[in-house]
Amino acid sequence: MKPKNQLHRFIFHTRGVCPPEIHFQLKDRLLEEIRFVGGGCPGNAQLVSRLIKGKTIDHILPLLRGIECREQTSCPDQLAVALESAVNGTLLPAETLRIMDDSKPRERVGLIGVLDGNSDILEKIISSMQSNGVEAAYCMGNFTGKEDANEDVIRLLKRQKEMFCIQGERDWSYGNYRESGLPPLRSQDRDWIAMLPQVMTFQLGGRKAVAFYGDYLQHLPGFSDFGSYGLEINMVCGLTDFMGDETVFPALEAMIPQFQADLIFFGQRKDWGHWCVGEKEFFSVGRSMESGRAKWGLLEVVSGGLRFETIEEAM
Amino acid sequence: MAESVKVLPEEVQEIIEVHEWDMRTREGVTRFKELKAKSLPSVALDGELVYEAIIPGQEELIEELQRRYGEK
Repeated sequence: MKPKNQLHRFIFHTRGVCPPEIHFQLKDRLLEEIRFVGGGCPGNAQLVSRLIKGKTIDHILPLLRGIECREQTSCPDQLAVALESAVNGTLLPAETLRIMDDSKPRERVGLIGVLDGNSDILEKIISSMQSNGVEAAYCMGNFTGKEDANEDVIRLLKRQKEMFCIQGERDWSYGNYRESGLPPLRSQDRDWIAMLPQVMTFQLGGRKAVAFYGDYLQHLPGFSDFGSYGLEINMVCGLTDFMGDETVFPALEAMIPQFQADLIFFGQRKDWGHWCVGEKEFFSVGRSMESGRAKWGLLEVVSGGLRFETIEEAM
Repeated sequence: MAESVKVLPEEVQEIIEVHEWDMRTREGVTRFKELKAKSLPSVALDGELVYEAIIPGQEELIEELQRRYGEK
């Protein structure tokens, strides 16, 4: 039996109308929020949204159905299709990105790249970060891996204060019981991973930062190009091929005024890198071990901006 | 760009088909890369990148459209 009065968020991909998506929320049969996203007539769409917000599906469906604007359909008609699909279960609630915000302003932070389930490296990095006086550390995903110490890695990560982890693709697979060819993992560790965010935001020297692993996010159910940080993810992963294609930087510069974040961190590329485009800064957080040495990123606020360096420690 | 196309004379509108891609979307980014574009706005005619980082003047655009139409 479905729980009553539970709020569900839906994303409907339209057909034949200007806005490519309709986002709405339903509580039982009550329409809580409604937004036509990505195109169309914003004024009219907003009016429609306001008029029908707070009404029941039964009340508004007859008003929406069958209105034609183009291609035998319209925004209201598509909304009717969306609502009917949500009610009959063919449209499932959106599994949007899980986003977590570290609200404490930071001045000196550490960045941990792919660990591949190696607890010895993590231990060395944590020790190095402590002696370098970092306030908080962000673990950028794929901390699990083929090394058979995933449980030790998770134990270490959980034990640290001010340690924030995001799901990499492999971690997500573990969290959703979808991994293959990897060591087994306890269910409680999988649950812990499943509750981690896929996107992390934080404040560094008054600038807003966003951190994510990579392009697997674009393939998750419910991912929206117009959702929070969808633009940053699309530009980094798609347009620039994780900043490897500098020829498209003029286009990137044209898009970044629409960014929500000022500093963008990503982990999938697996080598370390730092780019400044327009007024934004991009950081590729590389592997945690290179040439047999542990490696992590130190980022601190200095007068006039940020200072970024990688720290290496012998194993 | 779509606005400059909308104001083209009717006889020109009749010989063209316009597609606009939104660079915020994965589809838009894919098309942008397929065209090997570098800047915005970019305009392709018959699948060929013709204008980059500029919106051509109406006269120039009409001339180019009619030239291409004449060659077909």
